[in-house]
Amino acid sequence: MENGALSQGEGKDPSGFLSEIIGNPVTVKLNSGVVYKGELQSVDGYMNIALEKTEEYINGVKKRSYGDAFVRGNNVMYISAD
Amino acid sequence: MAEPGDESHVAEPLDLVRLLIDEVVCVKLRGDRELKGRLHAYDSHCNLVLGDVEELIYVVDDEDADDDQIRTVSRKSDMLFVRGDSVVLISPLAQS
Amino acid sequence: MLFFSFFKTLIDHEVTVELKNDIQIRGVLKSVDQYLNIKLEDIQVVEELKYPHLSAVKNVFIRGSVVRYVHLPSNAVDVQLLEDATRREAANQGNKAK
Repeated sequence: MENGALSQGEGKDPSGFLSEIIGNPVTVKLNSGVVYKGELQSVDGYMNIALEKTEEYINGVKKRSYGDAFVRGNNVMYISAD
Repeated sequence: MAEPGDESHVAEPLDLVRLLIDEVVCVKLRGDRELKGRLHAYDSHCNLVLGDVEELIYVVDDEDADDDQIRTVSRKSDMLFVRGDSVVLISPLAQS
Repeated sequence: MLFFSFFKTLIDHEVTVELKNDIQIRGVLKSVDQYLNIKLEDIQVVEELKYPHLSAVKNVFIRGSVVRYVHLPSNAVDVQLLEDATRREAANQGNKAK
């Protein structure tokens, strides 16, 4: 699997990937299907997420904005670097 | 408080929540529920204590099959403990 | 352990426990443990006509995981103390998730 423009250096495993995309715009999809797009401030070992400038999309439609948002890790399906 | 810039630099997600103590927050819960209240306590499970809370429950009114209306039911509470396993999102709310 | 300690300060106070199945049970908090399992005495189900299941029951043990909310008496809560304890707990939890 390619990792696009990111170097493979220390980021060989999933947690490495997460530390590399800090500060990047990301898409976070929850198990419920809700999508959050924002700037990744931080992630922890439980996949808890802190986002900045967050937008919430339900069924593809933008529903809300949050300046900062904390998302509880158990709800997260994936974190994708945009 | 002479910590080396740790207070404002968010090292991990729960540090964002730490900054929200005594602030009015919006909490999204499972089951189409939302809470707005002042955050007094939290832990790593996202158990919370909120003060002066309003709960909004989003209900689908499916009277005709074609016409999905969304109602909200509102409930208020002076002080509420929220169990962390229901929590989806926590965000600051601009206070009035 | 923060909320365990918090609930211990509320023993003998009347609280209303709301379960994830929407049933609300009002009663006197008699016991709590590290899992936030709860024992209530002299219970009254809110909207008991809707939930007649517990009409003959006086005392209950509630498994912590089925709780959605506990409605608390605001006068029994020292907000400053709670916030300070939270800040301390947060500092201790700091490295746990890494």
